[in-house]
Amino acid sequence: MSLATPLPAAARPRRRGRAAPYLFVLPALLLFSVFKLYPIGWSFVISLHRTVAGTETFVGFDNYRRLLDDPLLWTALRNTTIVLAVQVPLMLALATALAVALNSTLLRGRAVFRLGFFLPMVTGLVAYGIVFSVLLNKDYGLVNWLLGLVGVDPVPWLTDGLWARISLGLALTWHYTGYNAVILLARLQTVPAELYDAAAVDGAGALAAFRHVTLPGLRPALLLTTVLSTIGTLQLFDEPTVLTGGGPDNATLTIGVYLYRNAFAYADFGYASALAYALTLLIGLLGLVQFRLLGDKS
Amino acid sequence: MTHSDRNGAARPIGRRGVLRTGGALAATGLGGLALSGCTGTGTDGGTGRAGDPKKGEITVWSWQGPATELKALLPDFNRVYPDIRVTVQDIGNPAIWDKITTGLAAGGQGLADVLHIGVDYLPGYVERFPGGLADLGPLGATRHKDAFAAGLWQTVCPDGKRVNALPWEANSAGFYYRVDLFEKAGVDAGALQTWDETIEAGKRLKARTGVHLLGIDKPASQPDAANFFQMLLQLQGAFYFDLEGRVTLDSPEAVRAMTLIKTMNDAGLVSDLAGGWNALMSSLKKGTNAVVPWPTWFGGIVEEQVPAEAGKWKVRLPPAVRRGGPTAATVNSTHLAVAGSSRHQAAAWSFVEFALTRPASQVRIYRGKGIAPALMKAYDDAVFHEPSAFFSGQKKGEIFLAALKAPSPAVNYTSDYARALKLVTDAQSRVLLKGADPATVLREAASELVRQTGRKAAR
Repeated sequence: MSLATPLPAAARPRRRGRAAPYLFVLPALLLFSVFKLYPIGWSFVISLHRTVAGTETFVGFDNYRRLLDDPLLWTALRNTTIVLAVQVPLMLALATALAVALNSTLLRGRAVFRLGFFLPMVTGLVAYGIVFSVLLNKDYGLVNWLLGLVGVDPVPWLTDGLWARISLGLALTWHYTGYNAVILLARLQTVPAELYDAAAVDGAGALAAFRHVTLPGLRPALLLTTVLSTIGTLQLFDEPTVLTGGGPDNATLTIGVYLYRNAFAYADFGYASALAYALTLLIGLLGLVQFRLLGDKS
Repeated sequence: MTHSDRNGAARPIGRRGVLRTGGALAATGLGGLALSGCTGTGTDGGTGRAGDPKKGEITVWSWQGPATELKALLPDFNRVYPDIRVTVQDIGNPAIWDKITTGLAAGGQGLADVLHIGVDYLPGYVERFPGGLADLGPLGATRHKDAFAAGLWQTVCPDGKRVNALPWEANSAGFYYRVDLFEKAGVDAGALQTWDETIEAGKRLKARTGVHLLGIDKPASQPDAANFFQMLLQLQGAFYFDLEGRVTLDSPEAVRAMTLIKTMNDAGLVSDLAGGWNALMSSLKKGTNAVVPWPTWFGGIVEEQVPAEAGKWKVRLPPAVRRGGPTAATVNSTHLAVAGSSRHQAAAWSFVEFALTRPASQVRIYRGKGIAPALMKAYDDAVFHEPSAFFSGQKKGEIFLAALKAPSPAVNYTSDYARALKLVTDAQSRVLLKGADPATVLREAASELVRQTGRKAAR
């Protein structure tokens, strides 16, 4: 306002200019409110209720208390932790190696390879889940048939707890490695070539250059891919649903699958909402920890 | 009371409306279900707002075979009701259950007018979503009260007032077997009295032909993995819940059933049908198993899948669990319900009535896919009394008709069936894949079910 007084003529357009950005974000804001904010708020209200004989009864934090001694929730968390501890680091290591390889000037037809590794990301989650479940079928799948040709006994890919987890990890790795590699590659291309030259002048070998130039250069992208993979893993739903339905005997049960089951198979929306909030809290906390550990040190 | 409200099921009920009405009912202290009704006759209101019984556009949700048969019925239907346009959608099974749950939870948004619902899910929908399904009583369902197989009216009208659906299929436990394979093993499968005998026969069968006795989806990739266990329970007159709704998952009968399954599995008689339906179909074509212990409706599937094996198959009722015990059990029924949110309830009812209460419709459906009607009058038709060329000249229709007429104890699915089933399939997987002890896993499953649902344990 005080700015406007000495320049009355210019004030009006400027004020209009101030409203413009808000007008531009208004549609997005409206959509966000209706389709995100409202369900987020409403699901919290639902999480405080329990459906008894078709009536929603206010039960306070009962559903949250129920979470704490639900053995299946802990099973789901354990399964998720296994994926986080084993599959995510392996996949990111693979993605880093891939990014470095794809960035190499020695490689011919780089565009083809980049596209090839990224393509799995484009396929629909359910579609690739079904393809994997067909390929990995114990009795009729292609993988066991091929293994059979070299004399290997059929592997219970989806029907044994441990193998089901391995299959899930394989499917996830196939689907997301290329995606992460592309993110890392984009970052890699911003690492100035002079740094490598300087390192070479200082007598650094390929390995030392990778450790002291490439990895520090990749840090922000590594943080991003780690956080994204963590969130993705915690929300894991499509793959276990299609591949194993969370089975056998809950070996691949994830919070997402358990949440869905409570809501849409048992019609226990209150408990499912409480699960969703617990999941959000968990993702928030883990994200925070990762930012602290991997974030910029400056 | 809320009678006029309940009759007003024709008006689209919003989610809050459902909750409020349910609350009002529960507040009377007698519980939602017992009261959720109005009388089947003589009430006003409902039908008035239900739309025109001869005109409208309705959608029907069903799955696979039954959906095909409903579609095939449409030309006949439209000759009688030329102004009702019907769209039959094949939603798939089990996808349809989640889809109906979602629709009901949204106060009927996006739900079809006519819903095909299995006995396992009907009580859950009725109890959890009062008003979600229309009361068919005022639309005229009550006059068909005595038309269906024994016990089924109680299933669709548990309180004797509100009619939640109309029975369609009545499936009895069956035992389809390959005569040629049993002959090779020197066993007369038709004479097997008990499951213990059947297991012994299975051992000979395996030794002489290499074929498994039967198959189970061991890792429970589909919920129907527990069908066989459930049948063994029902043959003993037991279930997951008793009639008071208490948990009976760890009853001696359940332990007995699971022990039979474990014995078969340990003897190497059970092939793995992991993958559900597709695996079952390929095993059928490959001849992996000599017995398919599935109910009435499966006969049509066998004929369709392996037509070249005509004369190699026979069918009988399953052996008893205990010598001299029952061999007949109505293991499941399916029903057509009308959505409470439908704006064409009268037209939807016209379709339901045409499909389910007219013998000619049911005969046609049976001819098509072998789907057995609950409508007793349909059984007067010759098709149920003809010898079947596929089933070695047996009168398949009469075999199952006898089962349908035999006393079958009432089964209480309750609104927590889906939870119970999940725990049962997990317990069964543990037994089949890890060799767990039946009594232990069932005890654990029972206490977990008690914890999840707040129900009482029977023991």
